[in-house]
Amino acid sequence: MFGFLKKISHYTQDALNAAKYLAQGLSVTFDHMGRSPITVQYPYEKLIPSERYRGRIHYEFDKCIACEVCVRVCPINLPVVDWVMNKEAKKKELRNYSIDFGVCIFCGNCVEYCPTNCLSMTEEYELATFDRHSLNYDNVALGRLPTSVTTDPSIKPLRELGYLPKGVMDPHDVPSTQTRTGQLPSEVLELLQKNSKNNNTIEK
Amino acid sequence: MENISEPIFLALINPGLDLEFSFTEAMKGLGLSSQFAHILWLPLPMLLVLTAALIGVLVTVWLERKVSAAAQQRIGPEYAGALGVLQPMADGLKLLVKEDIIPARADNLLFTLGPVLVLVPVILSWLIVPFGQNLLISNVGVGIFLWISLSSIQPIGLLMSGYASNNKYSLLGGLRAAAQSISYEIPLALSVLAIVMMSNSLSTVDIVNQQNSAGLLSWNIWRQPVGFLIFWICALAECERLPFDLPEAEEELVAGYQTEYAGMKFALFYLGSYINLILSALLVSVLYLGGWGFPIPIEWLAQLTGLSINAPLIQLIIGAVGIVMTILKAYLLVFLAILLRWTTPRIRIDQLLDLGWKFLLPISLVNLLFTAGLKLAFPTAFGG
Repeated sequence: MFGFLKKISHYTQDALNAAKYLAQGLSVTFDHMGRSPITVQYPYEKLIPSERYRGRIHYEFDKCIACEVCVRVCPINLPVVDWVMNKEAKKKELRNYSIDFGVCIFCGNCVEYCPTNCLSMTEEYELATFDRHSLNYDNVALGRLPTSVTTDPSIKPLRELGYLPKGVMDPHDVPSTQTRTGQLPSEVLELLQKNSKNNNTIEK
Repeated sequence: MENISEPIFLALINPGLDLEFSFTEAMKGLGLSSQFAHILWLPLPMLLVLTAALIGVLVTVWLERKVSAAAQQRIGPEYAGALGVLQPMADGLKLLVKEDIIPARADNLLFTLGPVLVLVPVILSWLIVPFGQNLLISNVGVGIFLWISLSSIQPIGLLMSGYASNNKYSLLGGLRAAAQSISYEIPLALSVLAIVMMSNSLSTVDIVNQQNSAGLLSWNIWRQPVGFLIFWICALAECERLPFDLPEAEEELVAGYQTEYAGMKFALFYLGSYINLILSALLVSVLYLGGWGFPIPIEWLAQLTGLSINAPLIQLIIGAVGIVMTILKAYLLVFLAILLRWTTPRIRIDQLLDLGWKFLLPISLVNLLFTAGLKLAFPTAFGG
């Protein structure tokens, strides 16, 4: 008899708990209704890529010495370096250079190991094409600079969350004069230099 | 609760806004026979309600998309009309001009008949939804029972389309839909039965009248809180709304019985599910939230202002307030359904059947017995 009653009380307790949790969940969903949207209206608004963003690779033909380090450090030996030996000058003569961005994984190894810094990574990420073969960029295409989000007058640039002033969550209508929370790299550098100077004077 | 018989008394001396009567009288004035005038009158409310249902669907689709967006901190449709109000129209138009594909090895007749059998009973059920004392297509005596029996036709259509698609996902979806509809119809009918017992009538108009003696306080939700919850849960299950949307669970079944449908036939399913949602919300407001009744009885307000209840202007205001109240209550419930969609996870088929048969059915039976007992013990408060 008591077992039966106990079962009923457990059952009722379970049902009440379920109702309670449902109400809690509903209150969370309802609370979200009042929050402002966090979406970026893409073609009209774009996020500013961070300074170490690994986008499409930029290449300067004149700096390149055709050493093929980029090919060796590439996980799939992707860059195609087309050079011939100029026997008279005893120098490599570069003819063409290309990277296929349909295959590239944007790891940035080539950029890191390039001895002449002729490779660099841009903030360009809109690489959609109708034909995958047009993603195979030659040295001319690689030498083009992308339009920056901040300079394009038809786009509203938005800062990412980490680049917003302290306490600000909405990137809309934040004046560009307001700096992000914490110290900028230049400020950190300044501080370090000042500290090292102080240390030097103490040592003396 | 002493003046429980007052609304019936009021209804007797005050027939309210009777458009049919006025229309027939006007036609008689033009020299037409009363029978011919009746025939002329018949299609008018039907067309009106059909249009209202379609506009209701458009509003609900827009609301669903906007509320879903807000619940997920998105914006939702924005560019089709102001605030994206034309988005559902655009969706509908797209479905209208889309190619109507019938799979090569599908059963042609059943495949076409399926969506029709799903939509027609739902639209037919609008027959009994009252927006005012005389603002309904037909005050049939069997009223709410008509809706319950009509909604039993729906699983046949679902099963038909699931089977005819010749696709395993469709078949599974159809079977699930049929199992779900059948198991949730019983607690639904039992909770309606408790209401019917209290109001001594199956007619929706009588059910609303019985609730509106003291405004907000006399609504059935206070006398039938358990019934209200059961009815709402079952209504969600019948509409295949989110905690119970396993027949079209996209992660497992692609789109359930709708998988093979495209174009207008898909639009019929889409329309059917939304009309069903609005219908369920309307019926919840009719059965439990006082239908067209204002939270404070409008007769009291009229008495306070010292105006005659039979004045044409007052009658018009009462009619308008009734329509607005019914729609407002229904849409609040639709809003709740959308909010629930983004709150609750989908339950498994065994959990669904467990909930239906082992929880809702016994509780609705107990509720029915309890109501019967209360009706015998306190006939004044529980409609003796």
